[in-house]
Amino acid sequence: MFEQTVPKTLCVAAVASGLALYAIFGGYFAREIAIEIALLAMLAVSLDVIAGYGGMVSLCHGAIYGVGAYGFGAMTALGGHPASLSALVAVALAAAFGLMVGALTANTAGIFFIMATLAFGQMAYTLVFESRALGGDDGLAGIERFDASSVGIDLGDSLQFTLLVIAAMVLAYALCAQLLRASFGRTLVGIGANEERMRALGLTTWRHKALAFSFSAAVAGAAGVLAAQHTQYISPDYLVWTVSGEALVVVILGGLGTLAGPLLGAVVLVGLKHLVGGWTDHWHLFVGLFLIGAVMAGGRGLYGQLEHVLAGRRARREEGR
Amino acid sequence: MSGIDFWLTQLLNAMQLSMLLFLLSIGLTIIFGLMHFVNLAHGALYMLGAYVGVSTAGAFDNYWLALLGAPLAVMLVGIVLYALIIRRMRRAGPMNQVLVTFGLIFVLVDLVRLVWGDIALGMEGPASLEGTLEVLGVRYPAYRLFVIGVGLGVLAVLALVLARTELGAMIRAGVENDAMAACLGIDVERLFFVVFCVGCALAGLAGAIAAPVFSATPSMATDILIPTLIVVVIGGLGSLAGAFAGSLIVGFIQTFGAVVLPGLASILVYVLLALVLVARPEGLLPARR
Repeated sequence: MFEQTVPKTLCVAAVASGLALYAIFGGYFAREIAIEIALLAMLAVSLDVIAGYGGMVSLCHGAIYGVGAYGFGAMTALGGHPASLSALVAVALAAAFGLMVGALTANTAGIFFIMATLAFGQMAYTLVFESRALGGDDGLAGIERFDASSVGIDLGDSLQFTLLVIAAMVLAYALCAQLLRASFGRTLVGIGANEERMRALGLTTWRHKALAFSFSAAVAGAAGVLAAQHTQYISPDYLVWTVSGEALVVVILGGLGTLAGPLLGAVVLVGLKHLVGGWTDHWHLFVGLFLIGAVMAGGRGLYGQLEHVLAGRRARREEGR
Repeated sequence: MSGIDFWLTQLLNAMQLSMLLFLLSIGLTIIFGLMHFVNLAHGALYMLGAYVGVSTAGAFDNYWLALLGAPLAVMLVGIVLYALIIRRMRRAGPMNQVLVTFGLIFVLVDLVRLVWGDIALGMEGPASLEGTLEVLGVRYPAYRLFVIGVGLGVLAVLALVLARTELGAMIRAGVENDAMAACLGIDVERLFFVVFCVGCALAGLAGAIAAPVFSATPSMATDILIPTLIVVVIGGLGSLAGAFAGSLIVGFIQTFGAVVLPGLASILVYVLLALVLVARPEGLLPARR
């Protein structure tokens, strides 16, 4: 069951304020990294809701992220619609795609679920890659950012845009936490623990799973919208399945089913990528080895380990009394 | 090219693709069926097979040595991977297996890029299979007919082994119910190791066979993975017939779809996958009912 504990709040606050400080005092490159971390964290948090709490390990969240980005890109760059309307449409599109995938895969479990989501993600990738209207593999350029000049914010400025993305990350976390605390989320945790039992209790589990998947997809799609605004150019690379894998890596690294952990996971993975990428072109090799090591060590993830230590300390203190 | 000839050529193209998919999916599906182990790096082993094939053929100027060397080399890599990683991940659950083998793709692809570079490497087929042959009145490259032949040959051998030998009976028992098979004195772990080695060798063979047709590139590792996984899901876990039927279905849909419905071809396979998942989530011909 999910509880928004004090350590979780502290963890989110630490990551968000750390990123904000890094963006404020660092230069342009620091802001790029902060944005990369915040977007990946948003994607990973959305994935943790269904993977960590609902038991649905999706390998198509990269594609959903791309659907959000392309929905937004097509609306602004091709349709010429205002950014706010485009963002709503893009998030709705991602949610609809998520609903479809969730409904179609709801009766599969384990490895079949993983492979089925992988295949549907790849379907979205193929569609975008081969679509002339969306630019195919040339991608789409000329994407606008939100216009917040009426409230005195200039999102063309790299710092202000970075802060917006960090705020969006915190908002995404809060939304997911709120959902998990509500009865909808409690039911989802019940399905994750024992789907058979929930069905016996009279719940139409496939519908609940599809809706949860759709919610998660909406958050992932929102991250995609911000990603499209960030680079103002998108390519089918957003939808490649390795992005989904990366999101899952972040979740595992931070701690599956901790919700706050993926934020830490994103910091570590992006940090590692840039650290190793600084001296070799073959950073994938190191990320791969790191990943294999991290999973084989069989840990609880960074945040999970932290929580474990804290729980142990509390238990000892109560024993001592 | 007249009407009939055109379709016949497409039919042979479809067969060739199906056989490559079959060589890859059979190893994957039996490993799945026997041990519920998912190996996303199977496509990376295929890539490795192609590169080893290119190098062997180049070094000895002999295609047949490449065809022998690639499966052996990939099997050796498979044994190392088994000892270091796979054995310990057997009971770790599908998500951890997916992640570890996902990391393995990164490692293998980057190692290949370090050794062989980023450019596509071509490979000559054997001289004896140069030129074309006439099949039912159609001129078709002899090498591609050879690819089809190898696929059918492997199918025949595997079918015989599975149906007629003691090893085959033990594998079938393990797929059906591994706990019960273990109770009857079958060393399921060793069985799994044997099947894993054969699966790796077949992936290497597929790579070496594909290299003269498609040339070797690092992107082979992931390009072939998705169609192979779709074959496994459509065909059903752990069955030879399922892998063969699934390969034919996917191979034919991809080839004929590209001719008949060029715009929609790429998603037809996914539509089919969705239909199978909704109507028969266990696949068309699963080994375990």
